[in-house]
Amino acid sequence: MSDLQPYGALLLVLWGTLTALDLVSVPQGLLCRPVVAGAVAGWLAGDVQAGLRVGVLFECFALDVLPIGAVRYPDYGPATVAATAVAAGAPWEFGLGLGAILGLVLAAIGGRSLQFVRRWNARAIQHRAAALAAGESGAIRRLQYGGLLRDAVRGAVLTAVGLGVAWAITRALPLDRRTAVGLSLVAIGGALSAAVNGAIRSAGRGPRLRWLIGGAGVGLLLAVLT
Amino acid sequence: MTGRWRALLRLYAVQGTWNYERMLGVGMGYAAEPLLEDLKTVDPVRHSEAVVRSTEFFNCNPNLAGLALGATARAEYEAVPGVQIVRLRTALCSPLGALGDELFWAGLVPALVGMALAAVVLGAGWWAIAGLLLVYNLFRLATGIWAIRTGLQAGMKVGAAIGASWIPAAVARIGPVAGFTAGLAIPLVAAWFLRGFGWAGGLGAVALAGVGVAVTRWFGPALTSVRFTLVAMVILLLFRRIGL
Repeated sequence: MSDLQPYGALLLVLWGTLTALDLVSVPQGLLCRPVVAGAVAGWLAGDVQAGLRVGVLFECFALDVLPIGAVRYPDYGPATVAATAVAAGAPWEFGLGLGAILGLVLAAIGGRSLQFVRRWNARAIQHRAAALAAGESGAIRRLQYGGLLRDAVRGAVLTAVGLGVAWAITRALPLDRRTAVGLSLVAIGGALSAAVNGAIRSAGRGPRLRWLIGGAGVGLLLAVLT
Repeated sequence: MTGRWRALLRLYAVQGTWNYERMLGVGMGYAAEPLLEDLKTVDPVRHSEAVVRSTEFFNCNPNLAGLALGATARAEYEAVPGVQIVRLRTALCSPLGALGDELFWAGLVPALVGMALAAVVLGAGWWAIAGLLLVYNLFRLATGIWAIRTGLQAGMKVGAAIGASWIPAAVARIGPVAGFTAGLAIPLVAAWFLRGFGWAGGLGAVALAGVGVAVTRWFGPALTSVRFTLVAMVILLLFRRIGL
């Protein structure tokens, strides 16, 4: 982890909060996608390359998520920001695995925290049920701003805790090179399995599967040639 | 009727109070407020009833919510009986959810993300990120504008307007593109990551990926890819701790 100044840490918390808000509440403009969250977090932490590596890794995990209906899913935005903070400033082969552990745990906690906010929203609505039944516009606005605020607090806390843990584990858990590289390889293997799983599940058995296989063939060819 | 642009902006936060009871309900009420403003002066009683209806249970893909928003707002101005408006909202939940999810979450997003991943690993860097954000958000903005306009024009006939629109054809076309770009990106990403580790490391990671696919598909939702990876990492740490 590169030595973050308080100002840099604050910017990362703000960015993590924005990605958390973007996932569901506002504006859902793909800022929460790990490849975006990681690149910007890497830039803020002074290591764009680490951000891109972490972002691409978590994007593979995110490809396994189809946010349809009321499905529960991990929150990869703040997780990617914290994982990037772990990986920044070190060769990516060593930092990626440790960052992935923290990021995956944080993503799962982030998913749970989303359920908490949703239940909190429901309680707030019940609390103002009479005003809603009377058609009070002010009550609708207050509920809406309250919901956004709750989600923003969730994102800020998640990112701040993630950055705190990132700071602690990079100091308290110095890994030897072989273990660090091993963890990175496991993270990459796991991410690839997630991406393949997501792609196969989305493809089903129709024409999309044929296009998936065709794309994989072209990708393999390009990987060999480049 | 005024306030279309404000309604469009508010639709960006339509899931701001998402919950398991009313789902998008309150967010829809918040977005409907600017569209229903003129009704306040024309018919204050009807306005109050319309506001109450607009916050009731509703769920669909947020990117197509403008269709329901526009249609119900027009129905309120046309003094359509409230029961029919509630029925319209209920009837729109499933089709707008299914079409929007297929178009955006299962189609456009994986298609663009696949392209962005391939572009990043091929060296496009920030251009790939900027392209992803720009294309998606422009498409989403255009869809939002179209959705509100179509909903307001069609009113209670919005179902027929959706059926005759570009959406069903786009849903059919975007799936294969998403499949192709996901397929394209995965080998490129694998090569990008594993090139620096040598043959043994690379083969180990690919073998782990294969085991991960098999095991997670076998166990289903009980063992997600995230859980599989964390278990594998813990096992590795334990092995290293005892000197293997």
